[in-house]
Amino acid sequence: MLNKLLFKNQDGPQLIIAMIGAFMGITFLITSIHYLIKVNEFGEGEEILGPNTIIVQKMISNSSIFGLTQTDFSISEIEKMKEESFILDVKPVVANNFAISFQTNDSLVPYFRSDVFIQTVDPEFLDVKSDNWEWEEGDTIVPIIMPRDFLVMLNTFMSAQNIPQISDEIAMKLNFKFTLSSKDNSKKEWVNAKIIGFTNSVASILVPESFMTYGNDTYSDGTDQKITQIMISGEESEFGLVEEMLNERGLESKNSQMVIGRLKSMIGTLFLVVLGISVIAVFVSGLVMIQYLQLLMSRNAYEVRTLLRIGYKPREIINKFFIYFIKIFGLVALLALTSFFLLKLFLDTMFEEGGLYIDTNVTVGSMLALTLAYALFTLSSYLTAKKGIFKEY
Amino acid sequence: MNITLDNIMPTPLASIQHGSDSIWGNKIELRKGKRILLNASSGKGKSTFTTTAIGLRKDYTGILSYDGQDIQNLTPDDWAEIRQRKISVVFQDLQLFPKLTVRENLLIKNALTDTFTERELMDMLEKLEIENKWEQHCGLLSMGQQQRVAIIRAMAQPYQWLIMDEPFSHLDVDNSNRCLEIIHNRTVEQGAGFVLTTLGNDHGYAYDQELKL
Repeated sequence: MLNKLLFKNQDGPQLIIAMIGAFMGITFLITSIHYLIKVNEFGEGEEILGPNTIIVQKMISNSSIFGLTQTDFSISEIEKMKEESFILDVKPVVANNFAISFQTNDSLVPYFRSDVFIQTVDPEFLDVKSDNWEWEEGDTIVPIIMPRDFLVMLNTFMSAQNIPQISDEIAMKLNFKFTLSSKDNSKKEWVNAKIIGFTNSVASILVPESFMTYGNDTYSDGTDQKITQIMISGEESEFGLVEEMLNERGLESKNSQMVIGRLKSMIGTLFLVVLGISVIAVFVSGLVMIQYLQLLMSRNAYEVRTLLRIGYKPREIINKFFIYFIKIFGLVALLALTSFFLLKLFLDTMFEEGGLYIDTNVTVGSMLALTLAYALFTLSSYLTAKKGIFKEY
Repeated sequence: MNITLDNIMPTPLASIQHGSDSIWGNKIELRKGKRILLNASSGKGKSTFTTTAIGLRKDYTGILSYDGQDIQNLTPDDWAEIRQRKISVVFQDLQLFPKLTVRENLLIKNALTDTFTERELMDMLEKLEIENKWEQHCGLLSMGQQQRVAIIRAMAQPYQWLIMDEPFSHLDVDNSNRCLEIIHNRTVEQGAGFVLTTLGNDHGYAYDQELKL
């Protein structure tokens, strides 16, 4: 009966308009948050190098061939790059200054040996557990990160030998061996190696910093090691600025890294704009809903006042309005969630057809945004109802 | 429950000269179980008395108390409890819900304390000869019919005081007498009292006390 008294004679079209506004705002809010998270996560896990990280070197020109321009980085150049607001960190990629060869050392794969080039990077740039990325003098096995191209090359070689090809997991179980020696071959040492991961970003074998230091200290001829490559980690969604800086400084990176970074930055910015618009839409639709509640209460001012005068408790009447709006917002949230899933189905298919394989799981962030929007709507309706009822008291 | 008006002076009436026997500016006690007539001409403050006595107006000086407790200190929940179980009111403007039926108007009040069954409410309507209005919207009833509905609604709760502001102003003598009989029986049955404000007509009832404004 109270429901009939308070809610029967309301402005239906206005309520529907307010609900449509809230529905659209929440739908776009959770959709944009979901895809913003997904775009930022894109590529993570597949690459052992941290997100938004690239390895760059100076472009080689005719003048550098003749030694007119430098191809290595000075400490001051690195420090200047660090000062840029969109740069999170810059670290040199240290290379070996001694002779080193790499060979297979397992009965599962044919014998294969090659002189190689090893590098080390700051562990902060690597997406590996620090326990697995340690080596101390005296340790018999050194952990290594291989360029994925190595596995492709190894499988091609094995295929040509009519030997079954190997997967990432099997490759990580195989035994390998490094041979370290001085350039004049007066000193020599063998160390076992195990692959702990693969990377698409580096063309050389990555080893722990302590191993590189040991090798350089023990087997180098004493010449200074030049920094020819550096690792740069940039801010999310500001990859355009990183790219611009590389062009200005005559630096280059692997094209695939640049393309992914540019793509993520572009789509991320796009969803950030949609998110901004959605937040405004949710805010405005919230205001419209609250305004509708105020209108409803003002239309029912006489009824509310009379109910209080005949003995109804203010809390009882507040709860009536509150529960009514919990249901309204619940319906809006449910519709928004349904349309989000439909929209997600459509967008995931679209991304997949465009070659972007985005993980299809629902993000916790989008659900939290929905919960937060729902909580804010209901809380503001409760406070508005309370204020309105006590005004009539 | 005793109601005490200690030197009460409503702000709108402060500029008017009041007699030494007026309830305004003097100490008056409304004792439990008394049936009181408040007879005064228009503009003397009958409705002001009603709304002040039930806590709807707070623009007065002096102290108004229920059993010694200043009503200015009562909380909204205290008031709800008082209006549900201790003081019932027939408002001058009736305060019915015009969009609800007579049945709904009565049940919405009765639901608070579950005082009567629907049958008992219907019986009271029958006594006042408006049982055929049970499913009609109150807004469509005449003022006299609405007054009778408002009186029955006021009955549909336990009370210690029934405050009525010109409750028979649109009723003929027969209907006034029937209403007064229902009010009398219900009030006596509960050991309660009432205050009836009127414009000079005492409706032939033997009151315990008469107040002046």
